[in-house]
Amino acid sequence: MERPDDLLARLLGPSGPELGCDGCFAELDRYVELEVSGADADAAVPGLRAHLEGCPACREEHESLLALVRSEQSS
Amino acid sequence: MNVVPQPPAASLAALDPDSQRWLRDLRSDGGTRDEAVARLHALLLRAARFEVGRRRAALPHLRGNDFDDLALQAADDALVSVLARLDDFRGASRFTTWAYKFALLEAAVKLRRLAWQGREIPLEPESWSLVAGGSPAPGRQAAQNELLAIVQEGIATALTPHQRRVLVALTLNGVPIDVLADRLGSTRGALYKTLHDARRKLRGHLAEAGFTTTILEEE
Repeated sequence: MERPDDLLARLLGPSGPELGCDGCFAELDRYVELEVSGADADAAVPGLRAHLEGCPACREEHESLLALVRSEQSS
Repeated sequence: MNVVPQPPAASLAALDPDSQRWLRDLRSDGGTRDEAVARLHALLLRAARFEVGRRRAALPHLRGNDFDDLALQAADDALVSVLARLDDFRGASRFTTWAYKFALLEAAVKLRRLAWQGREIPLEPESWSLVAGGSPAPGRQAAQNELLAIVQEGIATALTPHQRRVLVALTLNGVPIDVLADRLGSTRGALYKTLHDARRKLRGHLAEAGFTTTILEEE
């Protein structure tokens, strides 16, 4: 059986304010470029990190965009 | 949930040189635009193939051609979206990063749909008991099990039937949000709002029962 705290986290989601999926998509490119540049992306785009914790689909797309931009930078 | 105010579309002069060139060429006529659209499609196809490459291990029953077709469809759909939304580009990132997210979204959604094609969408809990039975759990785990029991009660009593259906499908049964949106004739944004409201009600139910969720933030 799954660890109780993982299950609770999934059921209850992030505790703080968060963006919705549309807001997340609108800000995702800016957020990723700030992350790649080493800037404080979470301060610049409040609520996006919390949304990524609560939304597996947006989290997957964030991981992919971050990986793609990083792979371009390193090539 | 927060709503981020959107600044007006970017003026060309405020953009980096590469993004300026993309916008100028895509807004031009004739051969310059055709060439820019072809370059954009190639860029989107690269991003779609990148996403397919990351996720294909989760779809072992598909053949290479299926993935190629899916990436091409994703790039085609993303091209339509990007061209329709050029005025939404605000220059908050490079144009290519902005365009990539459309291709990644299209590919990811298509992959999730494909993974669930022909599968029943479970809308009720497969196992209603969230708490493991057996011998009593020690310390922290016992506290978590107690929280889970109250959450389970909240799911049954505090949520509307729609909130319960959405919460259970997304968080307990692992149904992807796009797949559930298709099934329910809804949108990803609307379903996430429902999930958000359900989670807030569950936190409220815990608070009413005298519980806090600080145990979750102690990790």
